[in-house]
Amino acid sequence: MATQRSALLNREIPAELARALAREGRDPASFWLSAETDLNLSGKYEPVYLLAGADAVLVASPPRGDHASPVRLSLAKKDLGEVRTRQGIGGGFVEALVDGVYVEILAYSNARADTFHKAVKKLEDWRKGREVFVGPEDDEDPRKCPRCGMALEFKGDLCRRCINQGAVASRVLKLMRPYAGYAAIMLSVLLVILALQMVPPRLVGMLVDNVVSVKAGSGQMLRLPLPFWDAFSQAVLASNPDMDVHVLGLLFLVGVLFLTQLLMGFMNMINGRLVSFVGTQITSDLRKQLFHRLNQLSVDYYDRHNVGTLVSRVSYDTEAMKDFVRQAIQGLLAQMLVLVVTGVMLFSISWKLALWTLLPAPIVVFASAFYWRRIYPRYYRVWEGWSRMNGSLSSILSGMRVVKAFGQEEREEGRYARTNDYVRDSTRGVEFTTSLFNPVMGLVFGMGGLIVWVVGGRGVIQGAGLTLGALMAFLNYLGMFYAPMTNLSQLTDWVTRFLTAAQRVFEIMDTAPQITPAARPRRLPDPKGHIVFENVTFGYNRHEPVLKNVSFEIQPGEHVGIVGKSGSGKTTLVNLLARFYDVEEGRILVDGIDVREIDPGDLRRAIGIVLQESFLFRGTIYANLTYGNLEATPEQVLTSAKAANAHDFIIRHPLGYDTYIGERGAGLSGGERQRASIARALLYDPKVLILDEATSNVDTESEQLIQEALSRFTAGRTSIAIAHRLSTLKTADRIIVMEHGQIIEKGTHEELLALGGLYHKLVKIQTELSREPSVDSLAVRKARGAS
Amino acid sequence: MSDAKDGARAPGAGRSGGAERTQIRFLTPEDCRIHLGNLGALHVTMKNEGIYGGIYTAYAFPVAYPNGYISIVQTAGDQDTELGVIRDLSEFPEGDAALVRQALERRYFVHTITRLKSIAMRFNMLFLEVSTDKGDLSFFMRWAQDRAVDYGQRGKVLIDVDDNRYLLPDLDRLPAKERVDFQRFIYW
Repeated sequence: MATQRSALLNREIPAELARALAREGRDPASFWLSAETDLNLSGKYEPVYLLAGADAVLVASPPRGDHASPVRLSLAKKDLGEVRTRQGIGGGFVEALVDGVYVEILAYSNARADTFHKAVKKLEDWRKGREVFVGPEDDEDPRKCPRCGMALEFKGDLCRRCINQGAVASRVLKLMRPYAGYAAIMLSVLLVILALQMVPPRLVGMLVDNVVSVKAGSGQMLRLPLPFWDAFSQAVLASNPDMDVHVLGLLFLVGVLFLTQLLMGFMNMINGRLVSFVGTQITSDLRKQLFHRLNQLSVDYYDRHNVGTLVSRVSYDTEAMKDFVRQAIQGLLAQMLVLVVTGVMLFSISWKLALWTLLPAPIVVFASAFYWRRIYPRYYRVWEGWSRMNGSLSSILSGMRVVKAFGQEEREEGRYARTNDYVRDSTRGVEFTTSLFNPVMGLVFGMGGLIVWVVGGRGVIQGAGLTLGALMAFLNYLGMFYAPMTNLSQLTDWVTRFLTAAQRVFEIMDTAPQITPAARPRRLPDPKGHIVFENVTFGYNRHEPVLKNVSFEIQPGEHVGIVGKSGSGKTTLVNLLARFYDVEEGRILVDGIDVREIDPGDLRRAIGIVLQESFLFRGTIYANLTYGNLEATPEQVLTSAKAANAHDFIIRHPLGYDTYIGERGAGLSGGERQRASIARALLYDPKVLILDEATSNVDTESEQLIQEALSRFTAGRTSIAIAHRLSTLKTADRIIVMEHGQIIEKGTHEELLALGGLYHKLVKIQTELSREPSVDSLAVRKARGAS
Repeated sequence: MSDAKDGARAPGAGRSGGAERTQIRFLTPEDCRIHLGNLGALHVTMKNEGIYGGIYTAYAFPVAYPNGYISIVQTAGDQDTELGVIRDLSEFPEGDAALVRQALERRYFVHTITRLKSIAMRFNMLFLEVSTDKGDLSFFMRWAQDRAVDYGQRGKVLIDVDDNRYLLPDLDRLPAKERVDFQRFIYW
């Protein structure tokens, strides 16, 4: 027995405990296994050790008194039956079989589950007299980030800490690099728009000071600091000397104002189109990349993630990228520029007045920050309310038959009303607060304006260096100055939301497919259909193996049936063979090659599957049948459909094979969907055909016809059929009987009947249920056949 | 090594009839006794049947009836067999009831949160510091709806990255500020 150090399974025993053990004549150095748990058997936090020496297992903890024994339990190896872990809620137990009774010997929280799962495996090997290795490799934990050690949600999950948000921001910028040219144009356009925005208040100021407030016919010369004014006025006055120069100035300024507005509208249009073009392009590219990655991810990923959430990521989080472009250019950058430029304009008009206007600024910033920090989460509750209400509505409407059958209309109305009330109340919560916030902000802005009127108005009246036109320009700029302040206070929130969305997108992009093709995949151009399961162990959840050390072999062309109770592991066998999941221990060989090494395309091509849940896509029946074989000829389609007993029902539809069917095969009955999916598999023409309860939804007569067709089709091919209706397996070359993830019986129908085990029992139950000839008569028939 | 021979019935022995497998058997103090066997394992002695060892307990309605409808199960190789259900634990002698409660506490390793000291979001994960019935703790969890699930009308069960569980039986019992902080992140 090798005893290299492992931090988990060969921990150093604390000195206090070591001394106490030594006092009792137990050598602490003699324990090859030493694992620390965090709980005692009362479910309280306490460090307790599981120790194993040459002949015994001990559970011990540092003693509470000088003379107290540290040993809580000692079991001699010779008296020890199976040792196993058993999952509780939030933790688990190590149990030992002692005199036919499972005894809990140690408890652990889920944080230590992996440690004790490994420890128990070692103990089992030790108990069975196998050689045990304990070493640093036992410390490897696929559920910990190898970089920072943070716990991961599942094996292969991405560490959230290691994809930091700074990296996300730089990746978004990297993603936008191809659009850098467009970004530069957008920025230039933005600057032009900004410059144009600064023009009207100045013109209004001139209009008031130089034109409107000067009496007509006063003979005063009109000076306007605008290009072309002098040349324009001289030319007009030369041809029309009676014209009032101030009226001319008024028309000129209004004309310039109109041109400014026109140009601004034009530039806004260009900007809008550019933003839309670049934003939608980025979103579209990103969606393609994301879908490509989702296609690559294994079935396991979809077991762990809600499809609705993934749809939201593909649809909405990618939209956040478009928002980023819009916000980054139009929002963030533009607002900051507006703030700076209008600030400069305000100070250039009157720095004293500008200082006064800054008085309400802190109130604006703090109030907005408070609003977004405290009130914004309430929006989440509204969205959540909507999602609950829609979920409830969809559930009630899709189950309306059941609702009516059980007369529960009133109750459902109450249920819907509750979700509806939740939406109403949460919406009111947000809107009531918003309706307070907005007027308060309006008041603050108004106060700023009032201060300007008081201070600036006094300046105008007293002629203290401020003209009425300058005051009006100032007030215009002031409106433009406060607006970005409220928006910029949302900056943190906006950046957080954007980075969160971007991170969710990158999370999918970065998820490594758990089922990866081999570095040098081996081709399987001409599969024979020879299948070997070699000591296969597998579970969908941690520490809960569904298959335990399963081994069997299927010869090319052999027809094998798999039977067993629900949850015995039948479907898991075919899931592993098709490599929807990878085995945890052992291996599966097809034609002598490990499925993990076979080119995934070749493996899929070799194996055809008909599932109990027949999934058909929206589209024509023809498109569904040829899903796996686009080059199939109409003759082949007809032949396969006929063989699957699907042709007759298809042809009854007015549009025959061109009939459109809805989502998940809506419009067809369960049996029809199943027959169509069998036809699809036959058309795929695989070397290995797997039928997982493939005829469970068809009537007995159709089943018989399909069985006949299948036996014709499967001649010379390997077939694996999982069935609850055992009559369908009578013709199988061999039947494998599974129970609790293990093979408990193997043989032909007759051999298994003669064995009198689980298969015999199942056949007997079904025979009694169907009132068919008894199992005994089946045995008699076999005997006659044999004679 | 302790001597574990106590005459307990092996797993699967006894109740195997078809009707018994499809009907709930309610256990009463008159027909059963709950006690500890060798090595501190929970045992049940059934009147006119014998002693069953290797027992664990499970709530049928942990939220609605935490004091009743407790399933008594005998664990076996790969299959567990329910011996019966205790309708009301208070009907049983205090000693028996205490053993059942201890077994439940062992099986349901749940921290009951009494105060929320802080809650913050980092790396799209929620980091919490809490006071619980088992002492002060900090843990982190994925910010996802399946990691904070409903417990009755007003409670939540939080599940951290190690699958450890933290129960907030009633959100309204938290001080207002802590409740608001909590709902800023777990708003569903």
